[in-house]
Amino acid sequence: MSDHTLPPHHVDSGHEPFDSKAIDASVRLPVIILFGNAIHWLVIGSLLSLIVSVKLIAPGFLGGVSFMTYGRLAPMARDLMLYGWASQAALGAGIWLMARLCGRPLGGEYSGGFGGSLLRTLIISATVLWNLAVLLGTLAILAGYSSGVEWLEYPNWASAMLLLSFLLIGIWAVLLFDRRSTGRAEVAQWYLVAAFCWFPWVYGTANLLLVWKPIQASAQGPIQSWYCGSLLALWLLPVALAGAYALLPRLLGSHLNRRHLATLGFWMLLFLGGWNGMDRLIGGPVPAWMTSAGVVAGVLFLIPIFMVSMNLFGMSRNKTVVEASYPIRFLLMGLYALVIVGVIGALASLPDVSGAVRFTAFTEAKTQLWILGAISLPLFAVLYESLPQLLGRECWSPELTGRHYTLTLVGIAMLVILMLLGGLFTGIALADPTVSFLNITSYSYPFHLMECVAQLLLLIAVLTLGANITRALAGDYLLNKHNGK
Amino acid sequence: MHRLPTLLSGIFLVFLTSWLGLVAYPALHLGRLTPVPDPDNGGSFPPTYGGQAIAGQRVYATEGCISCHSQQIRQLSITTSDVDRGWGVRPSVARDYLRDSTAFLGSRRLGQDLSNVGVRRPDAKWHLIHLYHPAAVCEGSVMPCFSHLFLTRKIQGQRADDALNLTGDDAPKEGYEVVPTAEAKNLVAYLLSLRHDYPLPEAPVKKIGATK
Repeated sequence: MSDHTLPPHHVDSGHEPFDSKAIDASVRLPVIILFGNAIHWLVIGSLLSLIVSVKLIAPGFLGGVSFMTYGRLAPMARDLMLYGWASQAALGAGIWLMARLCGRPLGGEYSGGFGGSLLRTLIISATVLWNLAVLLGTLAILAGYSSGVEWLEYPNWASAMLLLSFLLIGIWAVLLFDRRSTGRAEVAQWYLVAAFCWFPWVYGTANLLLVWKPIQASAQGPIQSWYCGSLLALWLLPVALAGAYALLPRLLGSHLNRRHLATLGFWMLLFLGGWNGMDRLIGGPVPAWMTSAGVVAGVLFLIPIFMVSMNLFGMSRNKTVVEASYPIRFLLMGLYALVIVGVIGALASLPDVSGAVRFTAFTEAKTQLWILGAISLPLFAVLYESLPQLLGRECWSPELTGRHYTLTLVGIAMLVILMLLGGLFTGIALADPTVSFLNITSYSYPFHLMECVAQLLLLIAVLTLGANITRALAGDYLLNKHNGK
Repeated sequence: MHRLPTLLSGIFLVFLTSWLGLVAYPALHLGRLTPVPDPDNGGSFPPTYGGQAIAGQRVYATEGCISCHSQQIRQLSITTSDVDRGWGVRPSVARDYLRDSTAFLGSRRLGQDLSNVGVRRPDAKWHLIHLYHPAAVCEGSVMPCFSHLFLTRKIQGQRADDALNLTGDDAPKEGYEVVPTAEAKNLVAYLLSLRHDYPLPEAPVKKIGATK
């Protein structure tokens, strides 16, 4: 991995471009802190997910204690995956990509002086605030202070901290874009600007209306669905796609054909992304047009997904290059996951299918594939690509990286397939009122049992990643110590 | 699209569409729904909750009941199975949630739908035993025990009125009793208040044959 994998494309603005070493130096600490903490939350989140899935086959497991009940652990695990891991890794990936693509160090020409160190202190404090918010929010759910709103369980003070921290970090990504030394903006940069503008809007609106100052509950359903859809499709997915658009052409030594397809895909994704969560309301207590909108949006969302994947898969690929590079393989797998998410989503939006499988593991399979596949895999790619450049040396153990890759893919595939099948069976059984609910619960037992195995594989996968990054960073520490002496 | 203001205005406008449809519209229309009068006894639909039930909603939220239980009966055009299973007599509509602090719509049914659990299971004692140890009254249930909402204490003089009648392995030691905490009682009051079997103009109840 050489340091010229992410050069600015066109340098025609007249500004003196900064070299990538200076840029990396300006973002090194915040990005490493964000990624490092994201991974430790990922490990804890995966462990909790495993415990949660064991509880479905053995309800008595770790039972009898208030803070170990399914109802508290499940939202803790989900929120750790969303805010501890995915959003935090997206922040780190976004800052690094943006600085590199814009050809500017964080803090511009002042990055070297006092102003630069002040700025870095501010950003690092913001990352600490983010992690404090995740920690306290998680503990609050544990202790019985959950707000009870799905995906927004953190109490109001914790979510306010999270939002503040995001603003303190995210504003710099947008400013970097404004002051870039490169001329024409790249597709990846559009996605990043969009993502960084959206999170505050989406998270702020949803918290305000559902948690901070709850609106009359008759109006809450659509807002909850809008939040869940937008968080995935308008904040996390755009960052993941930015990673793909920025890294794939460079790593493949190819270039993006059909820029108009990218443009159209971008705007379609933005437009439909906000409506994407509406499949959670099909047939629900909302006006009929919202049900229709949910069906339509679920099916139409396939179009931008196909556009983006045609665009990215359309690049010429050299097989040996792909085989040799884990970032490329993570990115391609992430794109496959996205296409499958789109297909599952479209199927699950069809009224008849939705009628049967909504509320079953089928829907959960889609959410899992969103988070673990379409979003996490590209974020892993950015992590694997950025860290050696930030540290200025090869730092990954190829064996551990390979093992993480394989275990992750096997774990995700197993989990998603089991949940899809389990969901289908339950859905069909639920449609027959003569089959009792408890009977259906016993049908899903074998699926839940195998899901535990899948969750265990995923836990081992993230532990491998944890070992890999610990080794990478500790190597740096040992190296410094050695040089110091 | 290469200048920040242009890109930002584009993003803003596109984003505004879903925000207007899914946030502003519900806030302005669904958020202003009002109860309808009950022609029979001068009350209103949906009925108001008692203080205990209101407090019980918090317990429902903090215990994460929503992780496994939904509270919505879907439109018959999408599926009839919710009604066929006896989970409700009519589809849920936005007005049904008027009195709630949070709409616990739910997204997964690892357990049964609770929109009408107060109709289906009107007995508070049953709920208390079920919360204490679900499998004792529902064999094969995977619901966790909420025994932390109860106190096991030594009987002082006479056995308390609200002590649970537990049998078998659940029964406390001789001279001890299991009593519900205020939280358990509030939660049960809330569960009993979950009855959406009244008619609304947009969701009439057809009075033909009881559901199975």
